[in-house]
Amino acid sequence: MALVDKVKLPKPLSWLLNFGRARSLWVYQWGLACCAIEMGAAFGSPRYDVMRLGVIPFPASPRQADLVVISGTVTDKMAPVIRRLYEQMPEPKYVISMGSCANCGGPYWDSYSVTKGVDQVIPVDVYVPGCPPRPEALLEGIVLLQERIQREDMQERWRGEPIVVPTSAASSTRVPAAPGASGTAPTSAPATGTASAVPAGSAQA
Amino acid sequence: MADDTGDEQSDDQAGDEAREALAAELSELLGDAVVESHVEAGQNLWLRIDIEQWHAAMAALRDAGFAYFGFLSAIDWTDAPEGRYEDTEFDAAGVGEDDDASSATAEETVRRGGGETRFQLLAQLHSPARHAAVLIKADVPPADGAPASVPSIIDVFAGADWHEREAHEMFGLVFDGHPNLEHIYLPTEFEGHPLRKDFPLLARAVKPWPGVVDIEEIPPELEAQLEAEVMAEFEASGAGA
Amino acid sequence: MSPPPTASALREQQAYVAAQAADARVNVELDTGDMTLNIGPQHPATHGTLRIACQLDGEQVISAEPLMGYMHRGYEKLCEVRTYPQCTTLINRIDWLGSFANEVPFILAAEQLMGVEAPPRAQWIRTILFELSRIANVSLFLGDMGVQVGALTPVFFAFRDRERVLNQIEEVTGGRFHPNFDRIGGLKDDIPRGWIAETHAVMAKMRGFCDEMEDLLMGNEIFQTRCRSVGVIPGDVALSYGLSGANLRASGVDWDLRRDANPGLAWDQVDWRVWTHPDGDSFARYWVRLQETREATKIVDQLLDGIPSGPIMAKVPRIIKVPAGEAYVSTENPLGEMGYYVVSKGGLGPFRVKIRTPSFSNISVVPWVMRGTYVPDIITILGSLYFILGDIDR
Repeated sequence: MALVDKVKLPKPLSWLLNFGRARSLWVYQWGLACCAIEMGAAFGSPRYDVMRLGVIPFPASPRQADLVVISGTVTDKMAPVIRRLYEQMPEPKYVISMGSCANCGGPYWDSYSVTKGVDQVIPVDVYVPGCPPRPEALLEGIVLLQERIQREDMQERWRGEPIVVPTSAASSTRVPAAPGASGTAPTSAPATGTASAVPAGSAQA
Repeated sequence: MADDTGDEQSDDQAGDEAREALAAELSELLGDAVVESHVEAGQNLWLRIDIEQWHAAMAALRDAGFAYFGFLSAIDWTDAPEGRYEDTEFDAAGVGEDDDASSATAEETVRRGGGETRFQLLAQLHSPARHAAVLIKADVPPADGAPASVPSIIDVFAGADWHEREAHEMFGLVFDGHPNLEHIYLPTEFEGHPLRKDFPLLARAVKPWPGVVDIEEIPPELEAQLEAEVMAEFEASGAGA
Repeated sequence: MSPPPTASALREQQAYVAAQAADARVNVELDTGDMTLNIGPQHPATHGTLRIACQLDGEQVISAEPLMGYMHRGYEKLCEVRTYPQCTTLINRIDWLGSFANEVPFILAAEQLMGVEAPPRAQWIRTILFELSRIANVSLFLGDMGVQVGALTPVFFAFRDRERVLNQIEEVTGGRFHPNFDRIGGLKDDIPRGWIAETHAVMAKMRGFCDEMEDLLMGNEIFQTRCRSVGVIPGDVALSYGLSGANLRASGVDWDLRRDANPGLAWDQVDWRVWTHPDGDSFARYWVRLQETREATKIVDQLLDGIPSGPIMAKVPRIIKVPAGEAYVSTENPLGEMGYYVVSKGGLGPFRVKIRTPSFSNISVVPWVMRGTYVPDIITILGSLYFILGDIDR
């Protein structure tokens, strides 16, 4: 680890390491609401079979996980807990925000108790839209994340994020990971058929 | 399908008579606790109970066979100062002049079982043996600007515990004799009672409801420009042919 | 099939009580102090974000207090600022496993206030979709209950077979999860061609799934030992806590709103029965749900053969305005009695909506039933009560 940190790795070696990292993601399933069932279908159902992508959905604790899928509505009461469990994950760590609620509040955009997007609490790598996204959409989000990991600069990533102790009321501790360096758009856009229920779409004719 | 509708109508009639009979029976059982009763044809039976006798009436109903506790909640009858945040064209189109008149006169007829206080308790009990249900209301009178406290019924129906906590959190009603009247859903530092009509939805106040139109309107100058481009393309292709 | 004999259950119950007494003696001798065990809010066994704070004495639970609200989304307030058609989009998401069933009581309440009645064809298709969402919902429980007691295989089977039902729902409504298909006065669309035959085939498969669960899980000795006489809820306690659905019927109370207070759907047109079980333990709850799933496939089969012809929408205005009044309609949803108390003051949207959700009442019995049980039984009891967080917290 120290080697990765200090020495600029030759390109084939860093490709190989990235390849290995991207194909052995241990994912912590954070099922919060409806999306949890679609996540369960993606991870548990034989039809979608997430393990062929090298994603292992078994860790029972965030301390063993590389990736967390936040699937469902984040409420103001839940937000501190999410923050706490995210901080328990070891670096390098990735976050997929699954579903409209976790992305932006979704149909509960005007609720008094819902956090309008999990990205207000923790940094997000891939947003999967949909209400809920189909399991295929989540799989595409994972593939996008793998592409991103593949192109990462190992040296930079391995150093992790500097832990900034907030001196004032500002609680933001993490600078956003530069998406320009990876060259991949951080937002996935699955073209599957589930109706997205962002507020504008939730009215019927 | 004419037979079906005929059957349903006769069912409604039968249900009516059964509910009327039940209303009479329960009024007799509860005595002067019943302020008013209301039967809606083929739908439901409402009983409005004197709040002083809320506890005794619930216990009497339970002993009379209404042992299944459905729910307990409340209604805030004031109109919200912000209304329904009806600020889009769609909403405006739906609210006509006649509606304003009807909603003004409707205030007396809308309340099943009557009542005039701002807060009303609402509960439902089933009788599994008789296959009958009754909706029970009680007026909560104001006291010092806040709703007066209400007797708790958790010793009658154990399940009322959480329902009363919820009503306390959502409406600010105080239940006398409840051992643990704390927040049930919201974080402890949350202030206000969300289901009171004067509790504003801040997100709505900040950002207007996008309404039913889910595509953005094209500004007129951009539309003219787009049309000009299309026409130019069309003319160019026409010139080519 | 008749309910299994209760003599063995009684024997096990007595053995359980004796074991508890022995354990209590050990606790006194060893002077095991109180310990707080916190389960959740993120725990695989809690189907979401329920948190339970348990006080333990050794291995025994002194008190268990569910702490909720981690999924409270404020449906009742949000419905007050939405129009009736917009409300159905929202309330779809309360019980997210049986979404279509959530819409039905709300739509029926609005129809009751408007004095509109959906045509018979719409009522039949509603009933079919209602029962399909029941199968989709409960079949996941049938597999998931295995996970709660340590058997991983059944849940994979459940996910596999559940997809078939979801496909059928999707084919009609266009949505796997949240169909938003019900309209005031009828349905959005008719069923597609060939759907009836396909659904018959799927129902046969689901009956096979029920048989499989019966063989694989219910006959399993470990499963029986973990579930029998664990978390016994007597009928009168269940009634006073407002338990509904299979939880109530597993306590021996013969009460099913589909039969006893049918709000106008087609259940009275077909031949089916209500299953009850006298024991009231976790095994009885599993048993009743399994029978009900099988019964639901039979209901669907019969309904499919008898769909009347005709329109699927009644005449309703384009902009829905509901006259002033109050209505309460409840139906027997997959989890229990779900009801909507709709107050209208004659506008585009409801003035107040009280949503009576089954899981909220079902879970309120937890402090009562957990007292004196053992730590491993916590998960069994929670699993067998079968709740959905959106349904508790709303």
